[in-house]
Amino acid sequence: MQLLRSKNNISPQKTIKLEKFLIESGDGATVLRLYLKEGASMNSVIYKRKTPLLVLLIPAFLFMTLFLYYPFVMNIFNSFTKITGLGTSGEGYNTPWYANYVHLLDDPLMRTSLKNTLLLMLATLVFQVGIALLLALMVDSIRKGTQFFRTVYFFPIVISATALGLLFNLIFLYNGGMINQLLEKLGSGAIDWKDGTHYLFTMFFPVMWQYVGFYFVILVTGLNNISRDIYEAAEIDGASGLGRIRYITLPLLRNVLCVCLTLAITGALKVFDLPWIMMGSGMPLDKSWLTGTYMYHQTFSMGDVDYGSTIGIVIVVLGVVVSQIANRIFKEKDY
Amino acid sequence: MLKKGKLRGRKITPRGILIYILLSIWAITTIYPFFWVIVNSFRQKKLIRSDSFSLPMGVSFTFDNYQTAFSRVDILGAYKNSLIISCSVTVIVLILAALAAYGMARYTFRGKEILRGLIIASMMFPAFSTIIPVFRMMFGWNIVNTESVGLSQLSVILPQIAGNLSFAIVVLMGYMRSIPIELEEAAYLEGYNIYQIIFKIIVPLAKPSFATVAIFTFLWSYNDLFTQMFFLRFKNTFTITRLLNEITSIAGVNYGLMAAAVVLVVVPVLLVYIGLQKNIIKGLTTGALKG
Amino acid sequence: MKKVIALVLALTVCGSLVLGCQNTTKTSVTDTTAAGPATTKATTAETTAAAGPAKITVVTSYGGDDGNRANYETAVAAYEKATGNTVNDASGTSNEEWKAKIMADFETGAEPDVLFYFNGADANDLVNNKKVVSIDTIRAAYPDFASNMKDDLIPASPADGQKYAVPVNGYWEALYVNKSVLEACGVKVPGADYTWTQFLTDCETIKAKGYTPIACSLAEVPHYWFEYSIFNHDTVATHATLPASSTDTAGKAWVAGLNDIKTLFDKGYFPTNTLTSTDAETFQLMADNKAAFAIDGSWKIGWFQENAADINDFTVTYVPAQNERKATDLIGGLSMGYYITEKAWNDPAKREACVKFVEAMTKDDVVSLFGATAVTALKNGTTAPADADSLTIAALAMTKSATGVAPAVQDKLNQTARTELFSGSIKNIVTGSLDTAKAIDAALAIKE
Repeated sequence: MQLLRSKNNISPQKTIKLEKFLIESGDGATVLRLYLKEGASMNSVIYKRKTPLLVLLIPAFLFMTLFLYYPFVMNIFNSFTKITGLGTSGEGYNTPWYANYVHLLDDPLMRTSLKNTLLLMLATLVFQVGIALLLALMVDSIRKGTQFFRTVYFFPIVISATALGLLFNLIFLYNGGMINQLLEKLGSGAIDWKDGTHYLFTMFFPVMWQYVGFYFVILVTGLNNISRDIYEAAEIDGASGLGRIRYITLPLLRNVLCVCLTLAITGALKVFDLPWIMMGSGMPLDKSWLTGTYMYHQTFSMGDVDYGSTIGIVIVVLGVVVSQIANRIFKEKDY
Repeated sequence: MLKKGKLRGRKITPRGILIYILLSIWAITTIYPFFWVIVNSFRQKKLIRSDSFSLPMGVSFTFDNYQTAFSRVDILGAYKNSLIISCSVTVIVLILAALAAYGMARYTFRGKEILRGLIIASMMFPAFSTIIPVFRMMFGWNIVNTESVGLSQLSVILPQIAGNLSFAIVVLMGYMRSIPIELEEAAYLEGYNIYQIIFKIIVPLAKPSFATVAIFTFLWSYNDLFTQMFFLRFKNTFTITRLLNEITSIAGVNYGLMAAAVVLVVVPVLLVYIGLQKNIIKGLTTGALKG
Repeated sequence: MKKVIALVLALTVCGSLVLGCQNTTKTSVTDTTAAGPATTKATTAETTAAAGPAKITVVTSYGGDDGNRANYETAVAAYEKATGNTVNDASGTSNEEWKAKIMADFETGAEPDVLFYFNGADANDLVNNKKVVSIDTIRAAYPDFASNMKDDLIPASPADGQKYAVPVNGYWEALYVNKSVLEACGVKVPGADYTWTQFLTDCETIKAKGYTPIACSLAEVPHYWFEYSIFNHDTVATHATLPASSTDTAGKAWVAGLNDIKTLFDKGYFPTNTLTSTDAETFQLMADNKAAFAIDGSWKIGWFQENAADINDFTVTYVPAQNERKATDLIGGLSMGYYITEKAWNDPAKREACVKFVEAMTKDDVVSLFGATAVTALKNGTTAPADADSLTIAALAMTKSATGVAPAVQDKLNQTARTELFSGSIKNIVTGSLDTAKAIDAALAIKE
């Protein structure tokens, strides 16, 4: 811990305290806990005076109020009025004014889309974030080639959904798509990848695959923020590779993982491009609706803009509720 | 005594090999589509739907798609527009979000949870539910539908800033909360005020986080077709994404042009990413506790 | 270093924005009218000379990937050269977002001066809110306006029966045929006397030989089979009537027509994956010589010219007929036209420029260029290009020998009802999970 003392103006007293604990305990986990306990609580004296807070927060919130909150409140009004075309104004209130909400509760397609979206959220967490975490840990642990992998894993996000949609459609195509061509060469018949039994896989797979890179980059940055020194200290104390991951990396990544959780939830609720291009209009037979595609369909294809606004409000409310629940379960820690 | 940097020895372990194999498998899946698009942009458009997985050799190889793209429309002008818009959005978002994220991460105050809930809520607002009131508002300010290129760009920049702020704040908050508070306390004891703490301590430490947020903001602003379609009307204001969407269409026939268009759209973003990525990597060699 | 670059970038950007702002603030100071900056140039023009060059804003659907985009741009350039006026063109490709943008523009007062748009129910809001000028009003000031068009062929707005939009080229829908597939199956190419019964027999033969009789994606585009199946149960005169319910005369035709589609589906004449494929996929079957018949519109000729290995393998002919309809009765019409907006009409500097523009875009030779084979309102008819391929020639022959043209009845449905029927109900009707009459009633019940 010579590093600490020389590079920063932390009082010698503090450093000694730290060192003492490090020497005494050999268990990796204990090192961590004690080290962090030295951190002051959030009610640190620096942040007692709140006036700088205004300067910090107001510019951003001004933008957001003007361009996001105010229009969204208009959207709430819209869900009570009758609007027939995006861009036209309301033609008086619905009768009764809450008609859209009643429709929402009756609508079987809405239920399908909610079910599918929840499935998508789970799949996103397990696959997108899960695979991204594994990849990030692996890339973090190797020496050569990290730049190559980082660059290459980013590719899917950069390519537009249109192109990806075309590619995947050509892969899953019934008449002569890549997979069916392979199947026919192997002897078994062609499969309709968008029919009742396969549609879930065909819709989820491209969406999963595309955004792994997104979480990968976020997690890699988070991993980088963890100082090498902590790892070295743990290695001195004899923590094994997996032990390091379990006791140091994951807890310190906790905040970033929480962020990923939030992003996964919002992403699943809003996702639209790729599912729409691959399985437009809820095919097959209205089974594959997601909240994002259903809302687009109502607003643009059906022209039922007020109902589309209602769905939008449901998406927002659902998103906030689920992410708050998730955050309570995986409580964020301040260091 | 303490070996800086290398945690693992130089020996090749079976575990190491396994890791490389797994990483390479995933790398193949991510490279292949990109490769596929590039290959097909050189293929004659007639053949793309029927035969897209082989290499275009001989007769099927062509530069036609790129020629069509360049001759039909003003690509360089569109790149310029895209860069101006996306760079401005990225810079402004970074500044505003960094300040706000710092405020949210460090301070405790009444209503903080509500504010946090609001930010998360705003991440969920779908683009088309906010676009019309925003359009009306900006029309009232006389910046939409004008002939001025600058104002048209402004009309796209402003909503895009707002749209990306919530994501940026949430992500930066996550990173900032992981910065141990010791340094700030030490600096405070040395007599720094808040603003000096921000610029001399937090900003250097959070550089990789900034780079990450920057690349995603740039990417989303660049690819945000919906806002661009609504606000950019005249050809000289078009961004590259809007322009190339204009000359291809999903239901359209010209897959060759579309593949060429995708390649043309993607190249600048990749360059920006590679440039910014060096910043993300810098974090590797800079420990969090170094001054 | 990165921060420095970022700062420099930000400053340059701010600098360019400020410069950009400078320009428009100067002109808006001279803007005395309440209209947006787009008309400032017109105001200054007004003060110099009433007949001075004007600048008009035009929106059409001939942008993007439209087949006639190049023709449009040439015609606009010719107009600019002839009159000295400038055209600010903000055309796009026709899709839902484009429609929404146009409506939003009218709402906020940002509308263009000349608009090329649908003349059916989609434009009702424009007519009802008096945003566009009727042809009669224009003719009061310019008697020769649109004089090269047959008046009774200019469609009237369903909102008030007045005519507002001057049409260019219309469309027709007919049966595209893959001749080589028919040859392989030993089936004769259909002619003007094609009956439904013959059609069913032919489909059975084609299916037995391992080909797909009908290339159609019921999931995405059932529109044309819908139109003709119903047409087979009514007449040219009555086809365009929207039923009030599934039990009146028109309604019964709808029920019978949709049931015909179900029959075709049950017999397996549609592709196996018709409920999950896209239109592009099923049409590829035609190009790959795997399918025989497809109903589509005049715009699809361009697709065949691009995608067919040999254009001579294809032809277009009449859809098989039942009951009172003759096979030579076509579905077709003029669904879009040029409008002049009230905003431009009330602006003395722009009025003349707009009228001249519409006249230039609807001249005989321009219309012929845009759609030689299509239905038009021209008094003199169209002339085909000299180097037309066999498909175009066949199309021309077909439209010339048509005995009647009926407009598509689906255009009378509002957007929500239409989408509900096509995207929601048809797939359930053909699989038997929804009763035809109920589906029709549900769609008809959706009012604007």
